Amino acid sequence: MMQNINNIIELVGWEAIKLIIGLIGVLVVVVVNALVLTWAERKVSGHMQRRIGPKEVGPYGLLQPIADTLKLIAKELLTPQNVEKPLYFLAPVIVFIPVMVSFVVIPFDAYLQVKDINVGILVILAFSSLSVLSILLAGWGSNNKYSLIGSVRSVAQNIAYEIPLLLALLSVVIMANSLSLKDIVESQKGLWNIFVQPIAFLVFFIAGVAETNRTPFDLPEAESELVAGFHTEYSGMRFALFFLAEYTNMFIICAITTTFFLGGYQGPILPGFVWFFGKTYLLVFVILWFRWTFPRVRFDQLLNLSWKLLIPVSLVNLIVTGGILKL
Amino acid sequence: MVEKILEEIKASLVTAGLHEASYAQNGYHLSLELQTGNITDGAKLFMANAFYLEDLFCVDYIDYLELVYFFNSYKELYRVKVTLKVDADKPVAPTISHIYTMARWYEREIHEFFGVYFDGHPNLTYLFLHDGIDHYPLRKKRVPVPDEDKKLLNSFKPREEDDCFFVNLGPQHPSTHGVLRVVVKMDGEYIISAEPVLGYLHRMHEKMAENRSYLQFLPNPARIDYPGALLLNLAHVATVEKLCSIEVPERAHYVRTITCELNRIASHLLWFGAFPADLGALTPFMYAFDDREQILDILEDVTGSRLTYCYFRFGGLYNDIDDTFIDKTKNFIKRMRERFSMYDKLITGNVIFVNRAEGTGIFKQDEAIKYGCTGPFIRSTGIPYDIRKAEPYAVYDQVDFDIPTGTIGDNMDRYRVRMAEMEMSLRIIEQAIAKLPTGPFKAEKVPKKLKPPKGDIYFAVESSRGEAGVYVVSDESDTPYRMRWRVPSFSNLMTFPSLAEGNLIADAIATLGSYDIVVPEIDR
Repeated sequence: MMQNINNIIELVGWEAIKLIIGLIGVLVVVVVNALVLTWAERKVSGHMQRRIGPKEVGPYGLLQPIADTLKLIAKELLTPQNVEKPLYFLAPVIVFIPVMVSFVVIPFDAYLQVKDINVGILVILAFSSLSVLSILLAGWGSNNKYSLIGSVRSVAQNIAYEIPLLLALLSVVIMANSLSLKDIVESQKGLWNIFVQPIAFLVFFIAGVAETNRTPFDLPEAESELVAGFHTEYSGMRFALFFLAEYTNMFIICAITTTFFLGGYQGPILPGFVWFFGKTYLLVFVILWFRWTFPRVRFDQLLNLSWKLLIPVSLVNLIVTGGILKL
Repeated sequence: MVEKILEEIKASLVTAGLHEASYAQNGYHLSLELQTGNITDGAKLFMANAFYLEDLFCVDYIDYLELVYFFNSYKELYRVKVTLKVDADKPVAPTISHIYTMARWYEREIHEFFGVYFDGHPNLTYLFLHDGIDHYPLRKKRVPVPDEDKKLLNSFKPREEDDCFFVNLGPQHPSTHGVLRVVVKMDGEYIISAEPVLGYLHRMHEKMAENRSYLQFLPNPARIDYPGALLLNLAHVATVEKLCSIEVPERAHYVRTITCELNRIASHLLWFGAFPADLGALTPFMYAFDDREQILDILEDVTGSRLTYCYFRFGGLYNDIDDTFIDKTKNFIKRMRERFSMYDKLITGNVIFVNRAEGTGIFKQDEAIKYGCTGPFIRSTGIPYDIRKAEPYAVYDQVDFDIPTGTIGDNMDRYRVRMAEMEMSLRIIEQAIAKLPTGPFKAEKVPKKLKPPKGDIYFAVESSRGEAGVYVVSDESDTPYRMRWRVPSFSNLMTFPSLAEGNLIADAIATLGSYDIVVPEIDR
C-alpha cells in the first residue's frame, strides 16, 4: 500500500499532489464561502431593513442557502430562442475560472497556501481582469439590450478601476520589495500597512468594490435601470454560477485587502487562519453594509471618480512612497 | 387680471356665447361658447395671459358633440369653461396642440373615444385603446370606427435608424411602478427620445360612471388612484354634494380633512420609499412602509379597508371616529416627527443621493402652463399653486398651513417639497384634531336615490399628486350624463419626454421616479 502511494508520488511528483489537494480545498472554500455569504447577505439586509431575514430553514435560517442551492439546481435551464449559443453557454463557465486561480496564491495562514508564487499578485490581477470577459460574453450572447448595456458598462468600469487598483497595490509592493503575497504579509510584522498606507488602502478598497460590481457601483446589473443587467437572460444553475462568482470575487477582494493592508494571517494568540478569515469577513460585512445603505452612482460619476480622483491620488501616493523609500 | 382677460375676450373673440357663471354652483367663473374658427385664437389669448389648460374633453349630446376646454390660472383662481360645438356625423375641430402641448394627449384621447378628428394634430394614434375596439366607446349611440380612422389610429411605429436602438421600458420593468411603457430611443447610454405608451390599465371608469347611479360609483374613485384613495373619494362625494346641494355637518368636514391628510402622508411615504429604490437604495423602502403601515392601521379602524377606501358618503361619513382613533393619530404624529429627522440624516445627507438628485430632471417654471401640471411637481419649480389654498374645500380654510415650494424644479426639489408637505400634513391634522367639533357626522335625510337638477359642475381637490377634478353633467336622472375625471398624473407625465431627452438613462429613470405617477390614475 505504502509502496503504491510512494510510486504514485514519484510518478507525478509531490508538487502536483499538493496542488490537487490544494485545489480541492479551494473548491470547498469557494462553495462554503458562497453559502455563508448568501446567508450573511440575507441576514444583514434583513436587519438593516428592520426585518429578521430567513429563519425558517434550520436554526437562524442557516440552512437557507442550501435550500436556495437545491432550488437553483432543480430549476429548468431555460435558453432563450435567439441567443448566441456558444457564447451564452460559455460565459457562466468562464466567469468561474479566474476566480479559482486567484485562490491558489492567497496565504490563509503561514503554511496554509496552495502555492507561493513569486509573482503572486500579478497572477491575481491578471486573472481577475479575465472575469470581465465573461460578463461581456454573457451580455453579447444573451441578445438582449439590457444585457448588452450592462456588459458594456461593466467593461468600461473594469478598465477604469483596474488602474487605481494596481497603483494602490504597487505602493505596498515597493515597500515589501516583493510580489509574493507571503513576503508582503511577513513585511507587515509589527505594523500593518493600513497605518503606513491609509490612502492606498482606501483607493484599493473603493476600486475593489467597483471591480466586484457591488453597490454603489453595481451599474452592470443596475436593477431599476437594466432589470438584471448582463445576467437578465440566465436562469437556474447558470445564474447560480454568476452568483457564486460574484460572492467569490467579493471574498477575493477582501482577502487581498487583508493580505496587503491588514497584516494577513498575523495576530496574537489565535491561530493565523482565524485572524485571516476574521479580517476578511469584517471587510465583507462592510461591503454588504454599503449595498444596503447606499444608492447607486451614475455612470459618468463612476468614471469621473476613477479617472479624476482615484488614479491621480494613487499616482501621487505611489510617487511619494517611492521618494521616501529612496531617501 | 380678471377684468383684463374679460376685456380681451370681448375685444377679440365673438362674444355671443359669453356668460358669467356662478362659481358656487358650477365651480367655474365664466362660460364661453366659441366657433370652430376662433378656438385657436382663444387658446392663444389664454396662453398670453398665462392660463393653463386644466382639462380638455368631449361630451356627446347626440345631435352634436361638445368639446369642453377648462382654462385656469396659477396666480389667481379664475376658471373659464370654453365650449365648442362640433358636428356629430363628421366631427372635425382645429387642434390647439401647437399652443398647449398637453392638448396632444387630450386630443388623442377624444379622438379615440369620440371620433373627433383634430385638424393639424401631429399624431392621432391610440393612446389608451387598441384596435380590437371597433366603435367609439364614449359616444351615446353606437358609432363604428371607419377603416381610414383605424388606419390612422394604428400608425404608431417606432423606426430604428442607424446609430440608435429602441428599448421598451415596461410594461414589465422594475422601475415603472406599474404598467407604464416608455419606448425609449437610445444612443448608447443617452436618450434621444422617449414616448410613453399608455392604456395597459385602462378600465373606462368614465363610461362606468354613466351606467351606474352616483352611489354605485362610490367605490370606483379609490381604484382610479389607489395610494390616495380617500382624496379621490372626497372629490366624487363633494362634487355630488355640491350638485345636489346637500349640507354636510361640520364634524364630517373635519374628519374628512384629518383622514385625507393621513392618506396624503401614506401616499407620499409610498413615493418616498420608491424613489430611492429607483436610485438603487432599497432600504428606505422598508422604513417608509413601516411608517405607512401605521397609517393603514389607523385608517382601517374607521374605514374598514386598508388601501381602496370608500369612507365618505353623500352628506357625511360611513361611521364616526372615536377616541382611540384620535389617540393613535396623535401618537403617529409624534412618531413621524422623529422619523423625519432620521430620514433627513440618512437620506437627505447622503452624498451619493444628493449627487444623483440635484440638477437632474429640471423642469422649468414657464413650461408649466403648456402642460397644465399641478401638485408637488409644479410646486417644486416655485409656483405656489395648491387647490387646498386656491379654492379651499372641507376645512382647509380654517387651518393654518404653508405651501412648500422648491426653486429650480429638479429631482431634489421634488424630493424636498414632498418631504415638507408630509410635515405640513401633520400640522394640518394636529390643528384639525384640536378644533374637532362634536355633533352629527352625517347629514340627515339624504335621499337614497339622488336625482340632481339639470346642469354641470366642476369640482377639484388637491390629491397627493396634484389637481384631481371631477366634471359632471346631470340630466336629472339618477346616473350622470357624463362624468369626466381630470387626473394630475396624466398631465404631469406628459412632460416626461422633454425631461428625458438628451439625458442618461439612469437620470431619466430617477426623473420618472420623482413624478410619483400612478398608472391606474393615468389610464383610468
